[in-house]
Amino acid sequence: MSIKQGNVWRFLSSIKLAIWLISVIAALSLIGTLIPQNQEPAFYVEKYGSSGYNALLTAGLTDVYASWWFILFLTLFSLNLTACLLNRFSLKSRSLGTLICHVSILVILAGALIGMLFGQKGYMRIEKGQEASFFISQNKQVNLGFSIRLNDFLYSESLNPKEKLLVYCDKKDDCCKKAGLSQTDADRELISEISTEIGVESEISDTGYKVRVLRYLPDFTMDTSTKEATSRSAKANNPAIEVEIKGKDGAKEVFWVFARFPDVHQKKIGNFDFVYYWVGRQPDDFVSKITVTKGGEDVMSRDIRVNYPLQFAGYSFFQSGYDAEHLNWTGLRVVKDPGVGLVYSGFGLLILGLCARFYVSPFMGTSRK
Amino acid sequence: MSALLWGHHESNKGLGDKMYSIYLNVAFAAYFLATVFYFIELFFRNRLLPVLARLSILCGIISLTAYIAIRWQIAGRPPLSNMFESLVVFALTIGLALLFIDLRYKIKIVSGLAALLGLLALGYASFLDKEISPLLPALKSNWLTIHVLTCFIGYAALTVGFVSSLVILFKKDEIVKLDTISHRVIAFGFLFLTLGIITGAVWANSAWGTYWSWDPKETWSLITWFVYAIYLHIRFAKGWKEKKAAWLAVIGFLAMLFTYFGVNYLLSGLHSYN
Repeated sequence: MSIKQGNVWRFLSSIKLAIWLISVIAALSLIGTLIPQNQEPAFYVEKYGSSGYNALLTAGLTDVYASWWFILFLTLFSLNLTACLLNRFSLKSRSLGTLICHVSILVILAGALIGMLFGQKGYMRIEKGQEASFFISQNKQVNLGFSIRLNDFLYSESLNPKEKLLVYCDKKDDCCKKAGLSQTDADRELISEISTEIGVESEISDTGYKVRVLRYLPDFTMDTSTKEATSRSAKANNPAIEVEIKGKDGAKEVFWVFARFPDVHQKKIGNFDFVYYWVGRQPDDFVSKITVTKGGEDVMSRDIRVNYPLQFAGYSFFQSGYDAEHLNWTGLRVVKDPGVGLVYSGFGLLILGLCARFYVSPFMGTSRK
Repeated sequence: MSALLWGHHESNKGLGDKMYSIYLNVAFAAYFLATVFYFIELFFRNRLLPVLARLSILCGIISLTAYIAIRWQIAGRPPLSNMFESLVVFALTIGLALLFIDLRYKIKIVSGLAALLGLLALGYASFLDKEISPLLPALKSNWLTIHVLTCFIGYAALTVGFVSSLVILFKKDEIVKLDTISHRVIAFGFLFLTLGIITGAVWANSAWGTYWSWDPKETWSLITWFVYAIYLHIRFAKGWKEKKAAWLAVIGFLAMLFTYFGVNYLLSGLHSYN
């Protein structure tokens, strides 16, 4: 009796089993989204108590997708799928689409397995002007066989459109009447909201006064010896803008407005009061300017940015961290995943298979409905 | 945001914003009218009503396309990056899917309910912040456009599949036709859901170096994919049709809604962009 006629085989290759396995995997995946995964022990202890944490840990619920039972069900599913393929499908053109779909799932899973077994993932930190030749993976140092030098690190922020320089004026003053009243403070009136984009000149409503922002400093400090305004760090500890105001007669004045200290304001110009409404700027770009060196010689120079990793010698380097204080170092995620090619082939096959199954074979005449 | 935008270049921008959001209002009115026309048609047979309903939907589609195009131009990037922008795209793709199904199968109740869902998407969008905000570095990629579009074409098809399945659960006639619609539309939606997940995976790999990290959005999209995979297999293997299959389509739609909204509001992860 051939193995293909046994009860076990019939069960293993049944679609019924496939449906049950998919349901179980879906349910287990769902559990993993309800309990935050791979957090620090302190996080779980705080949320579930220490006995709760121990229970989660024993059950593998803090790392569902790498737990033995999750892997077990994925393995069972792969076996079931393989059995289905051996049993059910032939190379006839009308079921070719279905065949490709199911093979593609196995190809993707095989690619994922290869990545898990032979891939490396880690992190490296390079100081500006220095070079590094290894990365840290699971607390171990892994040598690259070449070095990466960080020539420079650039960080830029984008202006939040909600960020404004608010101009108020005394209620008694006539400039308010001219501009029309709207937002009421206790004794002052908001008359204009001006963009804090550098260099753009705007008129304060219809008063004839023109203002523009000259500079933005995220962490304002005044150098005591030179009386020069500079930024202490890249962090928005004390955001400030330097504003130039031009009167009707063309006379200019320049002053600083502070987001955190609205009352620090040197002089009153044209009866206006300025408030820097700061909302928090978002990162716009992180650029690591690097050079790859091997045996003391420069091999290539490039920028690594988010979405634009560096690929070299089977490794990929992704922009993933930076020195928020002083922009003195960059953090790169290092990945070597020999399974990606297979996974991507699986993706291609899956799309091809689905298109063939739904949109080619229905028009081949003999297909089942 | 206060209406007080008096600075010179500000006032121009403010005016532009107001002018192009008219398209959104037109689309809202058009979807509303289409819904009304389809529902009146349920009770009064009239030759003009289906024409008016389709013209309304077409008008809605054109307005939404214009809105997206202008916003794209103003922002200098595809307007597909937050809940508001995605809802507009969702309403557009629902309109396209429903027009196609309406022309082909002419089932008023399905078209009417789908138009109502498109209207709800626009209504919900109207409560959200419409300000154009700059993109985070991770979102600056050509994959953004292709990923969002494939996802929402899929979502729209699955929404129409949900509507026709829902009707199966409450109706006694035309069930075979409705079942065909559900099956075909869900197969199409499944293909695009797959494309959406795959483009997301490829993008994640180019941004973070991993094509799958089991983040809640990814996991829920996979759960949704599983439910529809079961739908397609159980029809074939166990002959589940009509009401039984319809229940699965409803569950799939709920999973899709959770992938779209629930994950953003209830769970945290890499996709929390809004």
